[in-house]
Amino acid sequence: MSNRGAGTRACRAETHLGACGRQQHRSASARVPAPRLLAGLFLTLAAFGQDAPPSNEPLFRAMRDELARSRQLSIPNLESPYYIEYGIDEQETFSAAASLGGLLSQKRERFRTPFIFVRVGDYKFDNSNFGGGRGSAYDLEAFPIENSYPVLRRYLWLETDSAYKGAVEAISRKRAANRNVNQNDRIDDFAHAEPLHFIRDFKPLVVDESSWANRIRSLSGIFTKFPEIQESSVDLEVTEGGHYLENSEGTEVKTPESVTMVRARASAQAPDGSTVRDFAFFHALDPKAMVDEADMTREVTTMAQNLVAMAHAPKGEDYNGPVLFEGQASAQLFAQILGENLTLVRRPEGGRGAGAPPGDLDGRVGARVLPESFDVVDDPSLKEYKGKTLFGGYEIDREGVPAKRLQIVEKGIFKNFLLTRQPVKGYEGSNGRARYPAGGGTSAAGISNLIVTSSETVPAGEMKKKLLDLLQSRNKPYGIIIRKLDFPSTASLEEARRVASAQQGAAHPVSVPLLIYKVYADGHEELVRGVQFHGLTARSLRDILMAGDDAAELDFMDSPAPFDLIGLSNFTMEASVVAPSVLIDELELRPTDDEQPKLPLVPAPEISH
Amino acid sequence: MTLKIPLRLALLFALAFSGYAQHSVLLDAMSQELDRNFNVLKKNADTPAYFMSYEVTEVEYRSLNATLGTVEPLNEGRRRALDVSVRVGTPQLDNYHRVRGQGGANQGRFTSGSALTFEDSVDSIKRRLWLDTDSAYRAASERLIRIKTNSQVRVAEADDSADFSSEPPSVFEQKPIELKFDANAWRERVRKLSARFENYPSVLTSHVAVASQTDTRYFVNTEGSRIRHGRGFARVVITASAKASDGTDLSTFETFEAVEASGLPSEETLNAAVDRVANDLTHLLKAPDAEPFVGPAIFSGRAAGVFFHEIFGHRVEGHRQKDESEGQTFTKSVGTKVLPDFLSVVFDPTRRKIGNVDLNGWYDYDDEGVKARPVTAVENGILKTFLMSRSPIKGFDHSNGHGRREPGLEVVSRQSNLIVQSAKAVPEATLRQMLIDEAKRQNKPYGLYFEDITGGFTTTQRAGLQAFKVIPVIVYRVYTDGRPDELVRGADIVGTPLASFAKILATGDKPEVFNGYCGAESGSVPVSAVSPSILVSEIEIEKKAKSNDRPPLLSEPTVMEGKSGDKGGMR
Repeated sequence: MSNRGAGTRACRAETHLGACGRQQHRSASARVPAPRLLAGLFLTLAAFGQDAPPSNEPLFRAMRDELARSRQLSIPNLESPYYIEYGIDEQETFSAAASLGGLLSQKRERFRTPFIFVRVGDYKFDNSNFGGGRGSAYDLEAFPIENSYPVLRRYLWLETDSAYKGAVEAISRKRAANRNVNQNDRIDDFAHAEPLHFIRDFKPLVVDESSWANRIRSLSGIFTKFPEIQESSVDLEVTEGGHYLENSEGTEVKTPESVTMVRARASAQAPDGSTVRDFAFFHALDPKAMVDEADMTREVTTMAQNLVAMAHAPKGEDYNGPVLFEGQASAQLFAQILGENLTLVRRPEGGRGAGAPPGDLDGRVGARVLPESFDVVDDPSLKEYKGKTLFGGYEIDREGVPAKRLQIVEKGIFKNFLLTRQPVKGYEGSNGRARYPAGGGTSAAGISNLIVTSSETVPAGEMKKKLLDLLQSRNKPYGIIIRKLDFPSTASLEEARRVASAQQGAAHPVSVPLLIYKVYADGHEELVRGVQFHGLTARSLRDILMAGDDAAELDFMDSPAPFDLIGLSNFTMEASVVAPSVLIDELELRPTDDEQPKLPLVPAPEISH
Repeated sequence: MTLKIPLRLALLFALAFSGYAQHSVLLDAMSQELDRNFNVLKKNADTPAYFMSYEVTEVEYRSLNATLGTVEPLNEGRRRALDVSVRVGTPQLDNYHRVRGQGGANQGRFTSGSALTFEDSVDSIKRRLWLDTDSAYRAASERLIRIKTNSQVRVAEADDSADFSSEPPSVFEQKPIELKFDANAWRERVRKLSARFENYPSVLTSHVAVASQTDTRYFVNTEGSRIRHGRGFARVVITASAKASDGTDLSTFETFEAVEASGLPSEETLNAAVDRVANDLTHLLKAPDAEPFVGPAIFSGRAAGVFFHEIFGHRVEGHRQKDESEGQTFTKSVGTKVLPDFLSVVFDPTRRKIGNVDLNGWYDYDDEGVKARPVTAVENGILKTFLMSRSPIKGFDHSNGHGRREPGLEVVSRQSNLIVQSAKAVPEATLRQMLIDEAKRQNKPYGLYFEDITGGFTTTQRAGLQAFKVIPVIVYRVYTDGRPDELVRGADIVGTPLASFAKILATGDKPEVFNGYCGAESGSVPVSAVSPSILVSEIEIEKKAKSNDRPPLLSEPTVMEGKSGDKGGMR
């Protein structure tokens, strides 16, 4: 019905409920939730293993009973399922958004999103990883939120039926497509995993709606004091919920997830018309642990001041030389050039789609990727680091595999990728890193708490001096210090595309830096804007000259989207990156190719108070 | 005694007055920012703005959705969307001029329907108005330059009418409508209603939804219009679906509309509707497939309403008459006969009810701030006029209050309440006999009766097939030999517009209402189609596309469980 301007008009009572009926409801519930996993609960050994009694919750009973019955699914001459999985994300959210002291929206929602997958064939060769499959054959709308056993059974019954029919169709197409392909080095389609029983209750959403609404309203009002700032908004999301998983191997998992986040973003126009942007994001696992209002106000005000300074700053020039990444910027750098390269993507079979280009670290296990003094671990079990709460912990991944500490880099040598139950070349068997649904019954891996440390450090306060020394020895007029990157990015989709295409060929392009300072021999700094990296990849990490003795923590919602672009991926997960400041030799920066719309003809309206 | 009445009247008047004159922070902010921006933009040397308007649509809604006795959480919200219109150039040639090109004409898009704060925060409101004015003005100037190039290189257009009509300003302020919806009571009502489907094992999926909404529109323009008006919508939608053994997907539905949730039907009526939806579906499962057929048919009033909306209504939308990519079925037909002479068609947005049924297509002002009025498009078969927005066409220089849109899209002329009136109305029983007689005359074993319809669509563009399709849900064969009527399934009505009108023989005498939402270039707008049933001498139906999927392989789980005595937990 949204065939706008194509000359086709339609009137259907059934589908044309417009803003008045189910349509709205659908848009709310069709949204894939952004589950977040919660660390901080005690893991008892008794929770593991098969001995624990099955959960008596109606949802688990319905999943268990329908799953057992669905093993009998068959169509004459076609195989029965060898594996069935019911994954259900549940989310209760209070969200609100405000701009310049006025609320734009305020909403409370609660919904479940099912991920139902049936595998036919066997672990070696099944229907997965082949095309997108197909949607539901039945008009089921949202997954029931009330725990009525018969209604839950019905939903699962019809969705399993639909998934099974899709599976037998897909495997026959996959077999046909594979007939023309050399199968010598074929890897399995699905890795075995131990059954697991792990049940933790979700927390109820307790939120003081009006006080939160007041807080974001007043935070958004800060921007009224900065007339040069054009667009600005502050949004809030408080979510409780979690993930249910039941599979035919006997795994039964319920893991709670909670997160609170406040995101302030703003943009302004430089005199040449280019847009400058900045943001201040705040995350917490528990709303009560959130940064208090006074600190938020201070940080948002600083961000607004920085943004105005950026709008007045000169555009940067071509640069080749050492770059110092301070604190947060270093964590943002590692999140991208290391974090995003830790997954291996399996190419879809049957010549469908080229798949993702190989990552910077593909084939480099055992090779040196960082200076010898560096160690990196991904540790979902870690609750805090140097007294600060970490944001990316979890116990069990989306596929029901327990997650343990994983050494990523040891003494500069690359050790491990993040793996799910989808085998990839050279690796079979999950290490519990399935964090995102990835279509076709597969999951995508992602980092949890990525901790970067160095055994050889210099005091962080002396890093700038080290940079100046280096400039002097190289006879360079100035060096570059970067204090903030645009990550997770608040760019528009168009801008993100421009930035990515300027780094042509990079499997994981790096977002633009926001706070960029030229630093001169006498130590004075000059803010510049509008430059981006060229050729900055995971390989650049080998050129790290020194690391600080500091450890900046970046908490963020990670996603498979490029630059973790806000709003591009519906499915995001908590992650933390901790890293020291680093000085990297010989990086290249180039001016960005910006759109330069004219400044508004009409001056901004005056602020009324 | 004599004193009391005037006193009460005075009091009422005072109350009404205070409501009427309630100070609108939003409207004030809109008109101040409109003036401030216009004063600068009209003086810009390159492309001066000559007209601007702001429209803010405020929506507040609550809805509940139930399935088999379970109810999803209340879905509720409030939002405002901003639409900015900036015209540069002159009314004769401005940035909205339709540009001819490949893939049909377009009039450009300048508004984005941005979210605006729903609170009375003047700073927040004004800043959004300012930024959106800037981007609309930029897009307008750019497009005007392109249009000037286009009009120089192309051959002269057949219709050289202006791009914007002059209309008197409207000033009207109504108190915003309050959303009334008793969520707790409705939650239990839809829970019980949806649970009734448990009695119908052949229904695979079913839903009962209720929604209540208010729209308040705020409008200002640089000609001095200042309007605040609004209306309510409430709706119950009951749907059910099933799959026949050959894979055919079947669905039935029933909807009820009212201005307020309190005007929706009683529990008894809704219970009966659930049963009807379920029973119709159960009968459809057993019904034979319709065979392709050409012959006489009766459209029920609701079906006829949709038929007229598609094949007639969309073709009298004014802007299509000057768009050379359009089929322009009626462009040169004003003053000539386009329908049988016993039929008249009125579009009346001022009409709120037919009998006791609330109509969905009413409004006080259209989205260009033009006052709504009834428009007689066809009188005794003769085409009189088109549905007009402020985009003039040859021979029609003014709007008749049919410029409509969904927030975020540009206004074009759209339908409101389409009302078919007949001077050749016969009682339903007579019409049925006429159907049988006509079938006999044509040597057909049966005629068709289209009882209900989900909707339809049509293509009006030249590049497409000039045809329409109407999708019936409930169709009966009416036999000439006295056999009982037989329900059939899986038929689509197809046809071409001009040929179809000539075949209308007579109508019934009871108007029926089809309330719905119509989708076109300017988005989804609420409409109604009202018509008596009509008898046509010839209609063509074709087989519907169908799914080849089997019905569910396993039986319904909980029924099975009850029968086998198994309590589940098989491993």
